[in-house]
Amino acid sequence: MSQAAAATLDRSTSGFGVYNLKLGMWVFLLSEVMFFTGLIGAYIILRFANPEQFAEPGVVLNVPLTALNTFILICSSVSMVKAFAEIERGNQKGLRMWLLVTIALGIVFLSIQAYEYSLLAHEGFVPVADAYAAIGRHGGETIVGGPLYGATFYTMTGFHGAHVTIGVLCLMFTAFKAFRGGYSAQNVGGVEIMGLYWHFVDLVWIILFTIVYLI
Amino acid sequence: MEGHTHSSPPAASGTSSATTPAPETSHKAPNYYLVWLFLAVLTVAEVGVAFLSAIPKQVLVIALILMAVWKALLVALYYMHLKFEPRRLWLIVAAPLPLAIILVAVVLLEQW
Amino acid sequence: MSTVVTTPDAPARQTHGQHQELPFLRRYVFSTDHKIIGIQFLFMSLFFLVLGGLLAMAMRWQLAWPSNPEIPLPGGSLLPETMFTQGIMLPEFYNAAVTMHGTIMVFFAIMPLLVGTWANYLIPLQIGADDMAFPRLNMISFWLAVPAGLLMLASFGVVGGAANAGWTGYTPLSTQDVYSGVKTGQQLWALSLTILGFSSLAGSVNYITTIVNMRAPGMTWFRMPLSTWALFITSILILLAIPVLAGAMILMFFDQTIGTNFYDPTTGGQPLLWQHLFWFFGHPEVYILILPAMGFVSDILANGARKPIFGYAAMVWAIIAIAFLGWVVWGHHMFMSGMNPMLGGAFMITTLMIAVPSAIKTFNWLGTLWRGNIHFHSPMLYALSFVALFVVGGLSGIFLAATPVDIPLHDTYFVVAHIHYVLFGGSLFGIFGAITFWFPKMFGRLMNETLNKVHWLLTFVLFNIVFFPMHMLGSGGMMRRLYDPLQYPHLQDMQDTNVLITVAALGLFTVQLLFAFNFFWSLFRGKVADANPWQANSLEWSAPSPPPHGNWGGALPVVHRGPYEYSAPDRDSDFWLQADPEGGTAHAAH
Repeated sequence: MSQAAAATLDRSTSGFGVYNLKLGMWVFLLSEVMFFTGLIGAYIILRFANPEQFAEPGVVLNVPLTALNTFILICSSVSMVKAFAEIERGNQKGLRMWLLVTIALGIVFLSIQAYEYSLLAHEGFVPVADAYAAIGRHGGETIVGGPLYGATFYTMTGFHGAHVTIGVLCLMFTAFKAFRGGYSAQNVGGVEIMGLYWHFVDLVWIILFTIVYLI
Repeated sequence: MEGHTHSSPPAASGTSSATTPAPETSHKAPNYYLVWLFLAVLTVAEVGVAFLSAIPKQVLVIALILMAVWKALLVALYYMHLKFEPRRLWLIVAAPLPLAIILVAVVLLEQW
Repeated sequence: MSTVVTTPDAPARQTHGQHQELPFLRRYVFSTDHKIIGIQFLFMSLFFLVLGGLLAMAMRWQLAWPSNPEIPLPGGSLLPETMFTQGIMLPEFYNAAVTMHGTIMVFFAIMPLLVGTWANYLIPLQIGADDMAFPRLNMISFWLAVPAGLLMLASFGVVGGAANAGWTGYTPLSTQDVYSGVKTGQQLWALSLTILGFSSLAGSVNYITTIVNMRAPGMTWFRMPLSTWALFITSILILLAIPVLAGAMILMFFDQTIGTNFYDPTTGGQPLLWQHLFWFFGHPEVYILILPAMGFVSDILANGARKPIFGYAAMVWAIIAIAFLGWVVWGHHMFMSGMNPMLGGAFMITTLMIAVPSAIKTFNWLGTLWRGNIHFHSPMLYALSFVALFVVGGLSGIFLAATPVDIPLHDTYFVVAHIHYVLFGGSLFGIFGAITFWFPKMFGRLMNETLNKVHWLLTFVLFNIVFFPMHMLGSGGMMRRLYDPLQYPHLQDMQDTNVLITVAALGLFTVQLLFAFNFFWSLFRGKVADANPWQANSLEWSAPSPPPHGNWGGALPVVHRGPYEYSAPDRDSDFWLQADPEGGTAHAAH
């Protein structure tokens, strides 16, 4: 496409003040809000209808491990916003370094999530079963519950994990482009929308962590 | 932190045609590390509150939700720069929130 | 007529128009040009419209002559044994036909006709942009819709046949194959609609960004034609409704495939959860399917009446009000579901409130016609029928909105009549109007007026013969999705009505072939059209017919006035192009 032509456009009457890529990303994120609202709504109706199938917080799920993971995702948001701040000042080195840090933190998050899944499955908390019997964290007695707990837990955290995975892949593309000098202080759109997506994924995790793990 | 002002509007890098030059915005970059500290402290507080058995369940749930919303707002306002965007964008961003609340509220009422 | 009106202050710019010719594949198949993508959606959805119509004919045949080997479905013997044996259409195939008729018509015919076709084609032309904000995303949007359609078609050929749990896919019928006998078909159904959802999302992100950011100089919000306004609000509805459906569909797919129990009541799952999520999407979907048609009709009525649209601002606010209220009424589909009765009352009130903005629109259309110098060209005839039939559909909607009335009428042919008055009488007549109106712009040739008028007359008459008696059938107790009315003594007396409806429906389908013939004949042999054959005002009529790649041949148009300046006093001509600089105010505040 012709970026050269784009710069000469006069858009005085429709000066919304937010350029296309960024507006498009925001608009896309709104649809993501509704997607996760649907999932959270499903979780709420199922949990209220069947409280006996769900365990109290911290009994089956490993909250300390996930709290650590939450912290890692928050850190990755800082590194992402730092990457954007650096390229706004035209600092290519800073951009590349912070992008790599963000990718690393994203991969750590995913690895811990995979470890968490395997740990939980090993303890007997599986996504699909008529009933699960997991080793409880308070004294080691076995906790028994219905199929909906595992199904909702793995679906919600799994879809979030899928979003993180897509985010990491996009970050890799962004970093690849950054190392080839694709961004500059005048051309930060790609980094900014990458950041918007990444922070949104962080934001969703903040909500999910509270609803799924703590309540 | 770095007290620089926002540079002139970024040009769209990627795929397609037209870009709108944003109006010159000038604001201090927020202290990203301070926001990070807030988020970390709130996370610790959340986990701590969640395991306080002394608090009645309803109060606990409300407190946890409020803290989660606080954290979400911090991310949206500072990391996603919403605080520094034109109010028009706020309007767009707020659009799905009433709908999300309506959906969750109706689904909740179903079980009462 | 000059093709592009520009003023010196419009900045010169390069557009896609000047670059070298693209190879055939990039130009017509994997095109990023919004006009080509719109035309691709047009052909795809017209194909599905015919397919959905054929399924309807099969259903009507069964309803008129139920399981009667003396009068077998013509061509039924061509169908495999699992659908049609010994002159009898099997109930399994009938259920699949009902389901696929609804699904195909809603998701693959009307929705892409209204949004995929016209949002793509009209938005950049009506706001004066050279293309969409994200042309490549736009191409992806079409090429996601195609595999979604193919998956839906493929489901007819899999073991167990196509999905047969109704277009609403109520659980657990749709998730447990012990009830429906269909497993793979039902999975393909969920998968196909999820993929189509991604296509619609990509489209909406594009439409919204384009309208917000890429309007030509002078094109303020309240100078946009109502078509563009309606498509803008529709895009917002799609953007926020489709993800909820996608989430619900994915949970359904998990239930069908990996054995979760989100919707299975035997282990604590909630069928009501599906209904809430489906209708939270489904009711905005209803407005997705009517708002664009309202926009086209507004444009056509003002053009045909040679008068400004009556109450332009009220029309815009009514669209917005309908769109917002559309989010808080979904429970009126669930009055019979065992939903919390308090919610039922609330949903009844909000539903009745929608009558207010709908009535504002209807009276404004009448006000537009009042004392107009009406030109009965064929788009105008379709638009006038839209108004009449939408009123009938809207009034029966008020019946159904009231809980006590809905209880006996729920899931009867009264509902079938209601939805067809709105979706066929409303949306499809709006689409016929739009196709005939913008055909010369799309293809540079006019459709044959006489054939169109014959088609309009026969369609209008036959449509009413087909669907009006369904109100009586429904009030008489004929159930929706019924396989054999003769099984019920109380329906046997009304069988003559069913035969009448079927005969008229066959006629209605046949008449559509006339339109198809006219469409393809005019494509190659129609009278060559100039830039503005209807003497209309909005920007697209300032571009050549058909507009070139990049639309404006180098310089963006500048907008000087609103889109409905017909019969302005002290002017010789009774129309006034938005891009006409004469006496204009190019840079009014927005």
